[in-house]
Parts: sequence; structure tokens; C-alpha cells
Amino acid sequence: MTDFEIISPATIKELFIVIKKCGKDNFRFGAGYTDLLNELRKKTEPELKIINLAQVKDSQFTGIKTGIRGLWIGAMTTIQQLVSNQIINREFPVLHQSASSLASTQVRNVATIGGNICTASPSGDVSCALVSLNASCEILRVDGRTRMISIQDFFLGPRKTLLNRDEVLYRIFIPQNKPTSVSVHSGFIKVGTRQSMECSVVSLAFHIQSDKKSKIIKAGLAIGAASPTIRFTESACNFLIDKTLKNISESIKDEFAENVVVYASPISDLRASAWYRKEVLYNISKSVLEVNPS
Amino acid sequence: MMKGNRNRKEKQLVRISFSLNGQKVEAEIKSSTILLDLIRDVFSLKGTKGACREGECGSCTVLLNDVPVNSCLFPAINANGKNITTIEGLTKSDGSLDEVQEAIVQNGASQCGFCTSGVALAIKGLKYHYKKLNNSKKINAVLTPNRKDIKKWLEGNLCRCTGYVKIIDAAEKALINE
Ligand SMILES: Cc1cc2nc3c(=O)[nH]c(=O)nc-3n(C[C@H](O)[C@H](O)[C@H](O)COP(=O)(O)OP(=O)(O)OC[C@H]3O[C@@H](n4cnc5c(N)ncnc54)[C@H](O)[C@@H]3O)c2cc1C
Ligand code: FES
Ligand code: FES
Repeated sequence: MTDFEIISPATIKELFIVIKKCGKDNFRFGAGYTDLLNELRKKTEPELKIINLAQVKDSQFTGIKTGIRGLWIGAMTTIQQLVSNQIINREFPVLHQSASSLASTQVRNVATIGGNICTASPSGDVSCALVSLNASCEILRVDGRTRMISIQDFFLGPRKTLLNRDEVLYRIFIPQNKPTSVSVHSGFIKVGTRQSMECSVVSLAFHIQSDKKSKIIKAGLAIGAASPTIRFTESACNFLIDKTLKNISESIKDEFAENVVVYASPISDLRASAWYRKEVLYNISKSVLEVNPS
Repeated sequence: MMKGNRNRKEKQLVRISFSLNGQKVEAEIKSSTILLDLIRDVFSLKGTKGACREGECGSCTVLLNDVPVNSCLFPAINANGKNITTIEGLTKSDGSLDEVQEAIVQNGASQCGFCTSGVALAIKGLKYHYKKLNNSKKINAVLTPNRKDIKKWLEGNLCRCTGYVKIIDAAEKALINE
């Protein structure tokens, strides 16, 4: 168990001051604390300071806003806010589903989207959906400047991100669906030993946009818990372009699933063997294309 | 050396004030204090349980501004200015039971009782949730949760005794009783 001191800046300006003051001291950020407190309980760190993001008043940091080109989601937005948001529910079902499958009511009410990303777990549910949506991360530096990074590049490894220690994740940007897209086939599949909580054996996020002729014009697929970081399965996405969702043969489905599975390098652990994870991934990938003709 | 010690002492205590079961309270706490410990050890309200302390079981559930959260994973400092309801606050001032507690009793939804305060508050939270939904709606139809919604809502409450059916029965009863 690590003891710590929590410092609570009330504004972004104060946040910068606190970060600068902490300098080279051992510090971490705290958002919803659902990962952080469990992590700290398992180890002992000397003289730890936690910079509390939960009391920073800043509407961009804590809320969801529609922009011209897409949706801006503040890093402190809770998972429950994502679940309740009507635009997300309508435009990005994959994000809605990943959020509502995360943990439990009690956890969703405090856990944040920023915490899910910054924890950089290979099985982060909301993060997996965001990778499939080609989201970007807006990073805020102590000098007040920001930089944008694609979420794929943000993850360097399990629990490793591209953030410098004095930077915070400020907002997440999700690009709007294509103007020519008339239907989205979008969802989140989580296979686990339990339905809730973080036990995914493997997960798959997909967001497929089709035009009025039912031709696929853009596809985003990401896999979780199947390699050291969440992977965007680029070749599988490209493979789908120009195909018609309601009209895909068994052999094409197989070829597609093979394209997904090459991105997996799963491990064997107490939840499942590597072999099982690949098999499951193959099968759920195929199931993405099982769309009832109508 | 001296300075280090003094610093360590100085940094520790923070004053917070919040509403606990409808009463305004204040406390001077170490900034690392967890809400569960504040409730049990400082305010001596022992109805809130801490079975896993990892966010898995829900026995420590309290309502934060009417929304259920796990108090074992919540820094007390972030309760500042908020309304906290524990199981002791559910019981009415004349000592009679809340409708949720009543439904739990009527349906035999509690055995050892260790999960029960968390379950009761989660169900109460679901009532508030639907109340809010219905108030914010433009259409007139009243939304009520079905059994599936109830099960989903109570995912974070583990019970080792009842097998859940009676808990869900109780929730259904309490929710219909609007
Ligand atoms: C019982 C339980 C079940 C869970 N189930 C799931 C699940 O099913 N799926 C899933 O994906 N996750 C699950 N989790 C993990 C966790 O709840 C989520 O990852 C959550 O989104 C983390 O958010 P938080 O706000 O609580 O993060 P915190 O714990 O506050 O922070 C996590 C990390 O991110 C850093 N951080 C947070 N915000 C920022 C920021 N804005 N800028 C820079 N750094 C930041 C912190 O320093 C810390 O290192 C579960 C956790 C528990 C306890
Ligand atoms: S004690 Fe908090 S969830 Fe188990
Ligand atoms: S009644 Fe015993 S744990 Fe639920």
C-alpha cells in the first residue's frame, strides 16, 4: 500500500502551477481513481503526490461537445456520461456499447474516458472503441499549448503512453461519419469469463459505414486483449472497402477473419490460452459480417 | 531533517464539508483518506461494508448526489460539497423503513446481510435514475426498467447467499411502487 498526498487544483491554471511545483517529485494524476487506487494498493512507492483532476472546473475537460468535424469529449467525462449521450448512441454505437459494457454501474459513474486511455490497458474497452473510430487525443502541456496525436500512436505498450510526465490528456476527438454514409454497422463484442468487469479474453470493436448503394465506404476495426496494445486492423479494414455488407460469401468472411487475426499476438494466462484467444477472435470477426439480409 | 518532518505533518490535514444523510458535516482528514473509511471510522456509520475494497463487490455502495458509487475506491476529498447517502440515511426519520428496504424484507432478499446495504442503495439509485430520465423527457410515456435493466444495473453488487432472484424481485417491487 502506497500512502500519498492529494493536491486538488480548481482550474486549469492552478493545474499548471501544481504540475510545475511538483517538478521532479514523484507524482501521478488522479481522475476517477478506479485504476489508480487498485494499482497503488498493490505496491509501495515513496512520497507520492497525486494531482487530483476531479475538481478542475473546465467545461471542455469534463463535457461532450459537437464540433464542425466531429465530437469533442473531455478527458474527465465519465463512462456513464458516454452511455447516456444520445449523439454517441446514434452515431457511434461502438462507443456506446463499449462504455455500457465497462465494469459496473458504480464504476461507470466515476471512471473517466481519460483514465481508460491513460491506463493503456490492452483490454481497455472504451479505448478499443476509440481506436476503431480513428479518434485523436488532444494533449495539454504545462505551457498551455496542446498537441494532437492519433490514439493508435498514443499507446506504446501495456501501461505505457506517449504522454510526458507533465502532460495531461485534455480531450478526445472523434471524426464525424462520412457525409455519404447512410448506415453504420457498429458495435462492440467482448468475450470474457464474466459479462461485466474487466475480464475480457478478447474484444473487438467495429464501425463500418456504407453508402446508399450499401457499399462499404469506410471501416474501422480494433482488437483488444489480443496483443500488448490495442490494435487497429488496417488490412482487414481495407479489405472491406467496396464490399456490400448484406452480401458477403463465407469464403470472404474467412479471408476477412484471417486479416484480423494477423494483428493478434495473444498471451496465455489464467483467463485463456493464446490458442483459444485466436480461435475466439477468428469467430467473432466472422460474426461481424453476419448481417441479416433485409 | 526537521524541515522534512514538519512538511510531512503540514501536508496531511485537509478540511472538507459535505452533506451526510441530509446533515451538513465537516471533517479534517488526511488527503489520502478513502470515503469508506471516513464513513465507518470517523462518522461511525457501520452499515457501509468493505468486503473486497477493489471495486468488485458493491458492498461499499453509497449514493453520491443520488448516484451509486463504490466508496472503497473514492477519495473522501472528492466528496467535498456533495451529498452522500448511506444505508443509515435511507431509513426515514421516524425509524420506519424506506420502500426499497421494505421490498427487500418482503421478498426475503437478504440473508447474511453483508451485501444488503449496497444492494439497497444501488436499487435506490436506479429509482432516482429513472425519475431523472422521466423528468427530462419530452414525451409523456413513463419509462420503467424491466428485469433485464435491473440485472444490468445491479451487475456490480455481488451476493453470496441469495442467488439474486429475490434481490431482483425486490428491486422490481420497489420500482413499481412509484
Ligand atoms: C471492478 C473494476 C472493473 C473494471 N472493469 C473494466 C472493464 O470492464 N473495462 C475496462 O476497460 N476497464 C475496466 N476497469 C478499469 C477502469 O475502471 C477503467 O480503465 C477506467 O476508465 C479508468 O478511469 P479512471 O478515471 O478511474 O482512471 P484513474 O484510476 O483515475 O487513472 C488511471 C490512470 O490514468 C492516468 N490519468 C487519468 N486521467 C488522466 C488524464 N486526463 N491525463 C493524464 N493521465 C491521466 C492516471 O494517472 C492513472 O495512471 C475496471 C476497474 C475496476 C475497479
Ligand atoms: S468493498 Fe467496495 S466494491 Fe467491494
Ligand atoms: S445476503 Fe449474504 S452476501 Fe448477500
